Amino acid sequence: MSVSETSGASVEKPNPVRETIIYILMAAVAITTVGPFLIMLSVSLTQDIRFITFPIELIPSPVTLENFQTLFARTDALRWLFNSVYVAVISTLGGVITSSMAGFAFARGDFWGKNVIFVLFLGILIMPDTALIVPQFVVLSQLGLVNTYTALIGPWFASIFGTFLLRQAYLSIPRDYDDAATIDGANLWQSWWQVLMPQVVPAMATLAVLRFMGNWNSFFYPMIVTSQSDMRTLTVGLGTVARSGGDAGLDMAGAVIGFLPTLLVFVLMQRYIIRGISLSGVKG
Amino acid sequence: MAAASPSQRATSQFLRRLRRSLPWYPFIIINAVIFVIFNLVPWISMFRYSVLKTDLLSTREFVGIEHFVTMLSDAKLHKAMLNTVWFTVMYIPLLVAVSLGVAVLVNRPLRGMKTFRALYFLPNITSVAVLALIFRRFLSPRPDGPINFLIGLVGIPPQRWLIDVNQAMPSIVGISLWEAFGYFMVIWLAGLQAIPSELYDAAKVDGANGWRLHRYVTIPLLRPTAAFIIVIATIGALQVFGSIFILTGGGPVNATTTVVYQIYSEAFNFGRFGYASALSILFFAIILIVALIQSRYLRFGEDVY
Repeated sequence: MSVSETSGASVEKPNPVRETIIYILMAAVAITTVGPFLIMLSVSLTQDIRFITFPIELIPSPVTLENFQTLFARTDALRWLFNSVYVAVISTLGGVITSSMAGFAFARGDFWGKNVIFVLFLGILIMPDTALIVPQFVVLSQLGLVNTYTALIGPWFASIFGTFLLRQAYLSIPRDYDDAATIDGANLWQSWWQVLMPQVVPAMATLAVLRFMGNWNSFFYPMIVTSQSDMRTLTVGLGTVARSGGDAGLDMAGAVIGFLPTLLVFVLMQRYIIRGISLSGVKG
Repeated sequence: MAAASPSQRATSQFLRRLRRSLPWYPFIIINAVIFVIFNLVPWISMFRYSVLKTDLLSTREFVGIEHFVTMLSDAKLHKAMLNTVWFTVMYIPLLVAVSLGVAVLVNRPLRGMKTFRALYFLPNITSVAVLALIFRRFLSPRPDGPINFLIGLVGIPPQRWLIDVNQAMPSIVGISLWEAFGYFMVIWLAGLQAIPSELYDAAKVDGANGWRLHRYVTIPLLRPTAAFIIVIATIGALQVFGSIFILTGGGPVNATTTVVYQIYSEAFNFGRFGYASALSILFFAIILIVALIQSRYLRFGEDVY
């Protein structure tokens, strides 16, 4: 019996009929997940399309970019796109660096209040964010931070989950590295940045991908803290497009713009995403 | 030098500890500041505002526990709670069954398996806004709308979906299911693959095969995974908002108004920030209780980190 990625239960004698049935089933499920996105793309490239009606021609004739032009002309979509990129990049970088720092401190540090702070952080981690949205808005509006990048980025600039993830990564590095760095005269910052952090880069990459996707796709919080169109992120802006009841072509053009960046990240970073889920899942 | 008194020794010990601690604080200071501004302060303000009647602009009046008394007779809130339960009760069993079924299906060493898994994950990578844009069109009540056309192929008459009082919530369940099953499939797969194949070999030696293999090896060993999935999926389900906000706005006739939507609506449609804060406390308590009961009942969480 060969060692495979799968568990032993499914390692059976190859059976062509069985295999064919399995492939048919898998293809059927795949059609349900991929089909809507293909139709989205097709409709977004179709001229003057008010409704999506079936049966549908998957390759429109003629293929046109009109819907995208109209979308960018009629809405702030370009601005939303910029906001989303800006907010997601800064949030991701900030969150990963601060998690790396705090993870290091919780893994190696010996400081006053370490356990208390750690338990407090754990408390936040299990707290549902939606329960806190209204009070967050109240506080931000008192600070005059509604409709600012500070409000959009702020909560993402630290990640409790990331701190735990990186703490685990640092804990798996033998203490010998720290000792060697200390003997060589490195201070804490140097041993963090030059000796230990390079060894947790895979964990940081996993966190970065999860944070980027999470931030890009977030909807409730950015919707609450922005009321001006020019401060909206793409998802929030697309929400208003969806509710405005325009043409199907326009809607799908918006959906394509919202979908493509995440698709790109997913294709390039798939293994980090899956690892991130497995980590949080198995560890849970 | 004279022998140090106990208090002096304590002081010097304290100073030494402090000196050792200080270099570490810069490493957590940003996390701590963010935590204070975006969690601790809102957390405190939630309790402070729960006893006020305020629209954040002109009115600000102390009302004590009035909001919590109001909740008892707030018919819209009760409807929202029922809706949330209804959503969760439909969604969780379906999600568990579908994601496990698909995980078992793709947990084989066949060619192209990785591609299929990636395709199943696709709905999960995108935002709720994109899903809503797509499904608002797919669930069109027109007879030639995509979903109506497809069900027509098997002889089911066109349905009204999102604009029908009875079908709106099941439609939201369907969309949520479509979006999430790939994610939970990955967690099931991690659980399935963590089962050592020796256990199956041992069970086979003992004469187990087919269904009994699953009954006595797979299912018991998947229990922690199942517990984890049920708990996090339930916590997620209780918080469903985005798709409802975009697709139905809580309607038709409050049929899809969930607790979170109700909190949103009280605060941002009616400017009742005090009442919304009180509802947030209630909502937090509900989630905490559900999570605790489930964790206990499902015997999950022995090892939190």
